Amino acid sequence: MSTHAQARPVAGKIIDFPVLALLAIFGIGAVVIAYRFVAGIGAVSNMNDGYAWGIWEPVNVVVFTGIGAGAYSVGLLCYLLGKGEYHPLVRPSVLLGAIAYTLGGSSIVVALGRYWNMYWLALPSMWNVSSVLLEVAVCVCLYVCVLWIEVLPAVLERAAASRSPGWAARGRRWGARLALAMPYIIALAMLLPTMHQSSLGGLLLIAGTKVHALWHTPLLPLLALVSCLSMGFGAVVVLVTLMNRTWRAALEPRLLRALCLANGGFLLLYVGLRLGDLALAGKLHLLARADWHAGLFAVELAFFVLPALMFFSSRVRSSRPALLLGAMMAVAAGALWRLDAFITCFDPGAGYTYFPSYGEIAVTVGMAALGGAVFAIVSRLVPVVELAEPASHAVHGAGEREALARG
Amino acid sequence: MKISRRTLFRGALAAGAAGAATAVAGRAAATEHHASAGHEARKASPDAVGMLYDSTRCENCGACTASCKEANGLVKKEVQKSTVGEVDCGGSAAKVKRQCMHCIDPSCVSACMLGALHKEGEGKRDAGGERKGTGVVLYDPGLCLGCRYCQIACAFNVPRFEWKETFPRIVKCELCRHRRDATKEGPLAVANPACCEVCPAEAVVYGKRSELLAEAKRRIAAEPGRYAPRVYGETDGGGTQVLYLAPAGVTFAQLGLPVLPERSNASFSEGISHAPFLHGLTPVALYAAAAFVIRRNKKSEAKPPPSERSDS
Repeated sequence: MSTHAQARPVAGKIIDFPVLALLAIFGIGAVVIAYRFVAGIGAVSNMNDGYAWGIWEPVNVVVFTGIGAGAYSVGLLCYLLGKGEYHPLVRPSVLLGAIAYTLGGSSIVVALGRYWNMYWLALPSMWNVSSVLLEVAVCVCLYVCVLWIEVLPAVLERAAASRSPGWAARGRRWGARLALAMPYIIALAMLLPTMHQSSLGGLLLIAGTKVHALWHTPLLPLLALVSCLSMGFGAVVVLVTLMNRTWRAALEPRLLRALCLANGGFLLLYVGLRLGDLALAGKLHLLARADWHAGLFAVELAFFVLPALMFFSSRVRSSRPALLLGAMMAVAAGALWRLDAFITCFDPGAGYTYFPSYGEIAVTVGMAALGGAVFAIVSRLVPVVELAEPASHAVHGAGEREALARG
Repeated sequence: MKISRRTLFRGALAAGAAGAATAVAGRAAATEHHASAGHEARKASPDAVGMLYDSTRCENCGACTASCKEANGLVKKEVQKSTVGEVDCGGSAAKVKRQCMHCIDPSCVSACMLGALHKEGEGKRDAGGERKGTGVVLYDPGLCLGCRYCQIACAFNVPRFEWKETFPRIVKCELCRHRRDATKEGPLAVANPACCEVCPAEAVVYGKRSELLAEAKRRIAAEPGRYAPRVYGETDGGGTQVLYLAPAGVTFAQLGLPVLPERSNASFSEGISHAPFLHGLTPVALYAAAAFVIRRNKKSEAKPPPSERSDS
């Protein structure tokens, strides 16, 4: 089964129609962003003094980086647990992470009212270390740099393969140097997400009673950390499956199954922590009320439990569409919990209400579209994706080839 | 090629369990931390200044709002630092004035990334002649990124953001510190809230918090039939420097003041967020451990185990 695969730039036009369509969607968001910088945040959003973050922070930062945690999840397996067989997944998930985190960071700049004061963040003497958001901001800035450094080996490899002897020499020289430094950079890539992913949950600790009692718990940081792993694993499975369908990327069903099995463990760990915490805090009676919040909680928990049960069934694990569905649910589960905690179940009181404006949605969707476009473009320029050798296509089943042709 | 699914799964569970154990330990440490060193619950400084608002005296005339706007250059703006109005309390209407509570342990100060919101004299930089101990929560727009975490954090929904401005600010009551008179003695040398100066009914008065608290208790004791039996802000949310008296039969929740635990939200949040860091030791240790393991794994990967490799 070893399809002797190797990371290569994906063939085809660098900017094809799907990429163009994605860029067009981003274009709408870009117009909104430009207008925001002229007319103020209120001109494009429904944010108000009660719901001060709207959807930009909860979705573009908290959910996007949860998806970007694919780099963290695969890194944990591949480097910390020493599972070398996951190497083919490292580059795609690191690129996914680099893009998701960069978009999260850029969205923050759009959302910051007084962005021109940002340079102060570079001065540790000015940091208020009590601020959970400061920890997130500094940690995410560093991690974005780390992620792009992790993308560099692919770029240098492409340079090394260049026809220009100068670039080839540079690519080889710096590639070798970077390889020496890599363990220390990867260690950072393991430490930083552990810190800021938990802090992203910790952001809501201080909001106290504004967050519904079913969501406000001292365990917020840990729940955020565990669910970012389940989102990350899910996102990688979705990514790999999609790349296999559209680009004929090499796909080892064995790895996919193992990833999903591990994800099942994280999903159940989350469910255990969540229910155990409610029980210990004596909050289970809130579920008996059968109100809107209890309903949301049930839906959310179902999104964690169902994919876990699916992943533990060997029948589901042998079906690729079922795995894809389960992985998508695992991503949605973490996203739902984040949205509930930050928006739906966040109630500042005093009669404040909020629903995102078209402008806000355009920016969020535009950023996501830009992410897809950048992923495709980078994958076509440098070797990120492992593509099966044309000859090795014989190993795929006929039905699968049909699916590939359709995709 | 042996599938190491089981090992992988075990590894994942072990990692998860380790994480959970750390967090639980962290949680326990946080509670202990709180009790001993770490972020101790702040107490009001003896020099803390504040306001006492007596809902029973207020006539909702609006003089406070008008003078506040004028004193703070907000006449032509939509945002306000102080509002006053009536709330329906089951048939009867009660008056309530709202502005920054100048918490003893403010959530906004804990949340603010660069200390743009800070207690006077305790910020990252001095906005000019700041004195420590007054407890006034000041705003330094030069250090504000406009992230609005203060708005998320504030239990009283106090900070306002200028949504319609191209170059917005956070707007909130700073107790009219800019109206202080250095030639005077006592609280007036610290600040001089326009609302308190103008109120015709003395429904809102300015002074030292300790004296205002005593005065509030004196009023309740003198006329128990007139007042709700406690002072809001004495301990609520860790205590506030602006204190409230409600009419008898009216709850503070009806006035729009949130029901808060005695432990401040800032102390709760910092206790949990700081504890796992162990003063910076944990990140360093984790980094070192990760670097060690990764290096070792890379080395063992460089020489493939004889049986496992089956290059086609």
